[in-house]
Amino acid sequence: MKTKNYWLATAFVGTALLLTSCNGDGEHNESNELNTVDTTEATSDEDFEALFDSPEVDYHLPSPLQVASIFKKSGLSYNSGATSDPSKSDLYTSDLKQMLNFGVYSADMAYCVLNEQSNEARKYLEQITFLAEKIGMEAVFENKDLIDRFDANIENKDSIEILMVDIQERTEIYMDDNEMQHQQAVHFAGAWTEGMQLGVYDFENNPNKEGVGSQIAEQMSILSSIIKGLKDPRNDGMDIGWLISDLEAIQARFDGFHSVTAYFDDPDALELTLTDAEYDELGEMIKTLRTKIVNG
Amino acid sequence: MKRILTLLALFGIAILFAQTASNLTEFKENIAAQKAEAKTQLNPYRFDGSKITYFNFKTYKQVKEVEIYLFNNTDYRFSFNGKSLPNDITIEIYDKNKTESDRVLLKSFSEIQGKNILVESAELNKTYQSKKNTNGRLKRVFVNYVITAVAGAQNKQPTMKERGAVVLVMGYKN
Repeated sequence: MKTKNYWLATAFVGTALLLTSCNGDGEHNESNELNTVDTTEATSDEDFEALFDSPEVDYHLPSPLQVASIFKKSGLSYNSGATSDPSKSDLYTSDLKQMLNFGVYSADMAYCVLNEQSNEARKYLEQITFLAEKIGMEAVFENKDLIDRFDANIENKDSIEILMVDIQERTEIYMDDNEMQHQQAVHFAGAWTEGMQLGVYDFENNPNKEGVGSQIAEQMSILSSIIKGLKDPRNDGMDIGWLISDLEAIQARFDGFHSVTAYFDDPDALELTLTDAEYDELGEMIKTLRTKIVNG
Repeated sequence: MKRILTLLALFGIAILFAQTASNLTEFKENIAAQKAEAKTQLNPYRFDGSKITYFNFKTYKQVKEVEIYLFNNTDYRFSFNGKSLPNDITIEIYDKNKTESDRVLLKSFSEIQGKNILVESAELNKTYQSKKNTNGRLKRVFVNYVITAVAGAQNKQPTMKERGAVVLVMGYKN
């Protein structure tokens, strides 16, 4: 009798499990006794639960393509020597350098695409694909379909821009699905530094670039959110202290500029314009940080 | 008999866990579809990214905030999808964060449950300039999700009917 009950119970539970797993269409069948179990009372562990409860305060950072687009609209011209060397990705062996330079190359690719430098952009796409594999995001670029699409549309700027948007979206989905959102700030720190460096380079080398100068100042507004994102405790294992210190130093120096304090004291001020000396100082800090990031 | 009961209990827990995981997976899959829907509403603005804000309705009111940067000479469209909301919420958009007492309310709307609602930065700038009596443009906006209190909600162990999310997809004019 005891054995019979045991097997009856096992059969019942087995059937229940089978039926539960088959209920994949998401519709609740009120008449099915097995579905009357109040599954909603079940608990999950804290990490799992945290995935479904966003932080009280959050932010959205602009994509490298948007940043490049804004700089271009401000008058930024293409300077072939200003981008990072695409043959250096082998030198980036630490997680931090790989993620930062994934961001650097993303910014360079956006810059090349918007300036119709397709062959250069393709080199960056290859390096982004290479680094994505190193940082556990190979699935974003799997099957080489992005490279194939790039090659098929190499003469069509609009199609290449749409391809960049697809990369951005795939990356976002992949990071969401794999709980890697905290690393986005690291990629973005690289992309932001490269974007600023491209702006500084153009501002220094081409006269009458007031629009670019204003854009450099405007892009400073997102730095505080990048720093906040980098400080996520989940990024702690990456020896990230030097990066945060350097970015905080840039933020502190910028906040202390006379032009900046005057701008924020005047509610009617339309545009922040730094003095030449302030641009020079900010530019030097950006260039120093960028050199640290792109050197292996 | 004791062995049977233990076995039943273990399998029962396994079923509950499997069903919860399955419900949450389905919840996430629905959100992916809603994100795709919200993205289609951006046209002709170019997709720039999304922010999905998850929350659980509790017995007290909550406010979750998302900061979005706006740049000069660029127009933005925000597409809010509320099809993963078991209850309605209110969305408020401000010029400053929730710790600032002098912040300006630029737009407020509810009845988003089951809908996709669009907001454009041009409208927000117009309200900002009117309320602040300035020609300046917004440098950023703060989206506040005001999550209403639900009597009897399980604060510590939320049930599926208390879970909600708003999908926000952002686009800019190229």
